[in-house]
Amino acid sequence: MTSIAVKELCKTYRGAAAPTLKGLSFAFPEGKIVGLLGPNGAGKTTTISILCGLVSADKGDVTIHGLHQDAAHREAIKRIIGIVPQQIALYPQLTAVENLTYFGNLYGLKGPSLLSKIMHYLEVFGLEKSAHKEIHKYSGGMKRRANIIAAILHDPRLVILDEPTAGVDVQSRSMILQFLTEYNRQGASILYTSHLLEEAQSICEEVAIMDEGSLIVQGKPLELIAQLPQCRSLEDVFLHYTGHALRD
Amino acid sequence: MLRLLATIRKEWQLLLRDKTGLILLFIMPVVLITVMALIQDAPFKDYQEVKFDILTVDNDHGRLGRYIREGLASGGQFNIIDSLEGRPVTEAQAKELVNTGKYKISIIIPGGATAAIVSNANRIVNDITKRMGMTVSLPVKQQNISPDVIIYFDPAAKKAFKGAIHQALDNFLTQVETDMLLDRIKMQLRSRDTTIAAANDTLPIRLQAVGLKEHATGSSKQLDVVSNSVQHNVPAWSIFAMFFIVIPIAGNMIREREDGSLLRMKLIPGSYLAILAGKMLFFVGICMLQFYLMMLVGIYILPLLDLPRLVMGHDQGATLLVAAGIGLAATAYGILIGTLFKTPNQALNFGAISIVILSAIGGIWIPLEIMPPVMQAVGHLSPLSWGLDAINDIYLRNGNISFVWKDVGRLVLTGLAMLAIAGRVEKRRMN
Repeated sequence: MTSIAVKELCKTYRGAAAPTLKGLSFAFPEGKIVGLLGPNGAGKTTTISILCGLVSADKGDVTIHGLHQDAAHREAIKRIIGIVPQQIALYPQLTAVENLTYFGNLYGLKGPSLLSKIMHYLEVFGLEKSAHKEIHKYSGGMKRRANIIAAILHDPRLVILDEPTAGVDVQSRSMILQFLTEYNRQGASILYTSHLLEEAQSICEEVAIMDEGSLIVQGKPLELIAQLPQCRSLEDVFLHYTGHALRD
Repeated sequence: MLRLLATIRKEWQLLLRDKTGLILLFIMPVVLITVMALIQDAPFKDYQEVKFDILTVDNDHGRLGRYIREGLASGGQFNIIDSLEGRPVTEAQAKELVNTGKYKISIIIPGGATAAIVSNANRIVNDITKRMGMTVSLPVKQQNISPDVIIYFDPAAKKAFKGAIHQALDNFLTQVETDMLLDRIKMQLRSRDTTIAAANDTLPIRLQAVGLKEHATGSSKQLDVVSNSVQHNVPAWSIFAMFFIVIPIAGNMIREREDGSLLRMKLIPGSYLAILAGKMLFFVGICMLQFYLMMLVGIYILPLLDLPRLVMGHDQGATLLVAAGIGLAATAYGILIGTLFKTPNQALNFGAISIVILSAIGGIWIPLEIMPPVMQAVGHLSPLSWGLDAINDIYLRNGNISFVWKDVGRLVLTGLAMLAIAGRVEKRRMN
C-alpha cells in the first residue's frame, strides 16, 4: 500500500508571477523513511502544506494512506499524520509539559494517560529533567526534540518532518535520527525534508528530488548514485540534477 | 469542549507568565481612571460644588446691594468678599485683583443704584395712578439716570461661566425692580383706601404665580446621580482600557503565526473555531474582569481620594450584558488587527493609535454633546461611544436592558463582522 501518492499537482499562489508546483507526481510506499529533497524554492513546503490539507491545490490529486485529500477526508487525514514544522511551533512562555498537554488536549487526549505519554516521550528525548522548564529557556536542540514530541502524541501512522535537524548540535541530531529510525521500525511511515544530504542518504530508504515545482528523479539513494558514474554521494546526485546556480 | 477549555487554560497560563501584559491589563487602567477622575474633578465641579470668591464693592449701600450680596451668597456657590485686611474693597483694587487672576469675579454696585430703581418704580406707579384718576404722586428724580452694575471677570474665565453669572445677576436686578414696583403699588393703594390697608397690610400680590422646580425623569427607584468626574471617567476610561486588550491579543496572534503554533493548531483535527471560541471567551472574560475591577475602584478607592463614589444603577444584569458586549467587540477587534498585520510592531502601533482615535471621537475624552455636529455624527459610529452610551443609560438614566439592547446589539454585530473579515483574510493568506 502507498503511504503518499501525489499526481499532477499544480499550485500557483495568488499574485505570484510563476507557478510553485507544475504537475508534481510521486508516490512512496507505506512503512518507509523517505526524503523529499530540493533546493530553496523547489516547492517542498508547498507540497507538504497540500499533503496535510493546509493549502489547496489548483489541480491534481493527493492520496494519504488510501484517503483522498479532499474536504470529506481532511479530518481523517489529519488524524493519521503528524507534522513537525520547520519552526518551533510551541509556546515559548509555557513549559514543555504545558505545551504538550495543550496540544494533546487538542487531539482529544487527556488525563493521566496523556501525562504518562508526555513523560515517556520527554524521557525518550532526554528532556525529563527540563519537563517543567519554559521552552524559551531550552537550547536549540532541546526545542527541536520537544517540537517532534508535539507531533507524535496522537500516534500518527505518517510523520512529516520539515528539516527537523536544522541548526542542532551533533548529539541532538543523532538522537532525533535514532528516534525516527526506531519510530519507523514500529510501523510508521516517515517523510522527511532536509538540506543535509549526507543525513538523508544515511536515513532514507527512498528519496525524491524536486526542483522548480516538478519531480526530477526518484529512487533509492544508492541506486541513484550508481546510475551516475561521476557521483559518489547523494549530494553529487543532487547537484547533478539541480545544478550549481545559487537559489536565493 | 476539551479544545475550548484547554485553550482557555493555555491563555490563562500565557497571561500569568506575561508580567507586562498583566500590568497593561489591570494596573495601568486603575492608574488611568484614578488620574483622569482626579484631574477632571475640578472642571466637572465648575458649576456644582466649587465655591468662588466674589469681590463685591457696594457703593450703593441700599436695597440693591443687599439683594445681590444675599442672593449670591444664598446659592452656596459664592463667597462674598467685601473687605480685604479689614478695609472695604475699592473698585480699583477689585479690578486689579481680578485682572491678575487672584479672584475670578468682581461686582461693582454703583452709588445711587437703589435710588434709581425706586425713582423708576415711582414713575411707573405715578403714571398708573394718574390714569386711574388718582391724585397721589410719589417722588421721582428729574433726570432719568440708570447706572450700571459693573462686572469684572478673570480674563481666563470660561464663556459659559460668564454667562451663568450674567444670568444670575440679571435675575437679582429684575427681582429688586419688581419688588420695588410692587411696594410702590401697595403704598399707593394704602394711601387711597385706609380700610383696605388696615385689614390687609400685606396685599397678596405675587408675580411668580408659576414656579420652577427640577424633578427627576426616572419613573421608580430614581437615583440621585449627577454626571460628575467619577460617573464619567470610570466607565469611559474602563471602556478605553478594555479596548486596549487589542494589543495583547494582536501580539499573541502574530506570535502564534510567527512561531508556528497557529500552524500546528490548524494541523490538528477538529474545528479551529473551538480554539478561537476558547480564545474569545478567555479575553472577553478578562475584559469583564477589568471592567468590574475598575468599577470597584470607583466605588471603594476613589472616595478615599475625596472623589464622589461611583453609582452603578439598578440593573446589574444590563451592566453585565453591556460589559460582555464591549468585551466581545474589543476582543474581535484584537483578532482582526492580529490577522491583518504581519508584525507585532505594526499591530501595536495601529491598534493603540486607532483606539485613541476611536475613543476621542467616541466621547471618552470629552462628551459627544459638546462636539460639532459633524463630529457627533462620526462619533456615534465608534463602538466605544455605543458602550459609553449604554453604561450612561444604566448608571445615569436608571435604564434597564430595554435601554441598552440596541447598543449591545451593535457591539455584538460589529464584533461578529470583524471576526468574519479576519476569517476571510486568514483563508486568503493560506492560498
